[in-house]
Amino acid sequence: MDEEFDVIVVGAGFGGPIAAKICAEKGLKTLLLERSENVGDKVISGLTIPFYGFLFGPDFIRDGNPPFERPSDGIINYIIKDIEKGDIEIDDSLRVPKPFSPVIAFGYNTYCKPFCEWEVKKAIDAGVILKKSTTAIDVIKEDNYIRGIITDEGEYIRCKIVIDAEGSKGLLAIKAGIRKKYKPETISLADVYDYIMPKEFIDKIFGYSVKMCWGWDEQKIAPPLGYGNGLMVWPYRNSLHFMQDQCLRKNGNMVTNLTNYFKEYHRNITEKLPWWKTLVAPHAELRARMWAGFEIYVGLNKNLRIMANHTNGMILIGDAAGLESTELCDGVPAAWFSAEIAANIAIEAIKVNDTSKSFLEKYDRKIKEHPIIQWSISGKNRYNLRIAQEEHDLKKLKEYIHNGWGLGALTHFMTPFFKILLSYVYKDPTIITKWIKMFFRYFQNWLFETYDHPGEKKIKKIPSKKLRKMERRFMRFLILIDTFLKALKKIRKVFSFILVPFSNSLNNFMIKALPIIEPVYLFILKIFNPILNRLSKKILKFVENANPIVFQN
Amino acid sequence: MVRTFKEFPGVEWVEKTGDFIKIDENKCIGCMNCVKVCLAGCFEMVEKKAKIKSLEKCMECASCWYVCQEEAIIFTWPSGGTGYRCDWG
Repeated sequence: MDEEFDVIVVGAGFGGPIAAKICAEKGLKTLLLERSENVGDKVISGLTIPFYGFLFGPDFIRDGNPPFERPSDGIINYIIKDIEKGDIEIDDSLRVPKPFSPVIAFGYNTYCKPFCEWEVKKAIDAGVILKKSTTAIDVIKEDNYIRGIITDEGEYIRCKIVIDAEGSKGLLAIKAGIRKKYKPETISLADVYDYIMPKEFIDKIFGYSVKMCWGWDEQKIAPPLGYGNGLMVWPYRNSLHFMQDQCLRKNGNMVTNLTNYFKEYHRNITEKLPWWKTLVAPHAELRARMWAGFEIYVGLNKNLRIMANHTNGMILIGDAAGLESTELCDGVPAAWFSAEIAANIAIEAIKVNDTSKSFLEKYDRKIKEHPIIQWSISGKNRYNLRIAQEEHDLKKLKEYIHNGWGLGALTHFMTPFFKILLSYVYKDPTIITKWIKMFFRYFQNWLFETYDHPGEKKIKKIPSKKLRKMERRFMRFLILIDTFLKALKKIRKVFSFILVPFSNSLNNFMIKALPIIEPVYLFILKIFNPILNRLSKKILKFVENANPIVFQN
Repeated sequence: MVRTFKEFPGVEWVEKTGDFIKIDENKCIGCMNCVKVCLAGCFEMVEKKAKIKSLEKCMECASCWYVCQEEAIIFTWPSGGTGYRCDWG
């Protein structure tokens, strides 16, 4: 390629297309490189993209109609004490309660490929040039600056800034001299199975909940060998996605024979786990088996965490920057956030013609200040599970599970969540209603499989007066919220005195208050369950029948 | 040419990847770590040294590269448009 670009983004996964799109929208000549023949061919995961990714990520995703497989209302944890005897305890406290569930979702389960394709299409629409089947094997380095990339065909493609979104191995970042190979302790190998299953059975057995399993080493099910990892099963529309994962090494110990262990664990799970054996197995058929490695504990190691994510003429985003969530094993929200930050810094740098390390340092500062990124890379519950397993301490095991994937998560999530929430509402008070509409629109899209084709919604009957009244009420309710928040914005300085310290102390408050609040909350949910269920059905009926325009921004 | 394998349904491998994983024989100490972690069985031991048997089922997870403490494994990406591909990731 003789052309010179402003920006080259390497990797069309979840983060790359976002960065490319934002750069192209600002008129930068942007090239998106992808090593596979088709976008998404090589992206493997089991995936719930958590709600905060959609709320605080790029506008076009929040306001758009991305494709996904099923909304998720939360997690059911199975603590397997004895698989032979069926001695299993359940912690399902982290679920969106009725009547909000399932419309207001905890996250969205999705196959990687269609989602990445959707993002890339948006990037191309914005003017990005996509070059597939092209592997970037090295960077062009001149005067200590990265000036472009070298492809496997020997092409030199020049640019002002390279945004590296190549995923967890980060080979280009190593070539550029920013990173070193991570230790095997920080890497998890995920063995992934995709099972076809009729939707009616998934609706009945799973509903909208992700199932996670945790246990003792002796059960040889999950997490294997006390590596702090687990087993996850995601319900999709017509399929189940199943992932068992294991760190490559533990604390400098010997590397174990993973091929044999994975086989053994999978057999144990599918043949012994009661709900799999009796409910799933008769209806599920294996469609695909694949695996992928991802970094899991990079954020827990201080030396790795403080590594620069940039150099002269180059920025790392997403997994390439080690931003994988240490507990949810989910790098998508952080990839989106970092892509957006990187693109904006790249735009600024090109505008002032300064792509030096010292200018791009701003990127690292913003990553370190981002409450959700920092929260997601520094969670220790999954890591600590191994201690509970080694000590055979059931109390600790339950505590870490509850704090990681139960309501206990509120004791570390509330402050970062509220902080970022405030910053968004300050910038744009109408954001809350955009978020509400997003959940409703997404759910309607899921019901009718419309996604980017809202015109295709099959309206069953002529809307009744009652439905029209509900639509008007819904819109009036949103206007009311907007008016209230706009008014609040005018006196935000007064509120800041209260809200800033309030958000800072939320985690500590939850640590103290949760033992009291949680049983009361669960008791109320139980008592009012029939009423909440009826209300939930009403909301569902409304979403099913409402005019899609009501949920558009 | 595209290959499939019974034990790994739903995945296809496009040929002409090039030698994207190599072993430096002089550095290999025969610890077998690469053999242990490779779910595709790409490696074998020959005279106490790891050798690449075949990369035809490799899913480019790089586990072999991560566990090789002697830096004897050189890991790069396969040529553009080749290697594994899957719709169900």
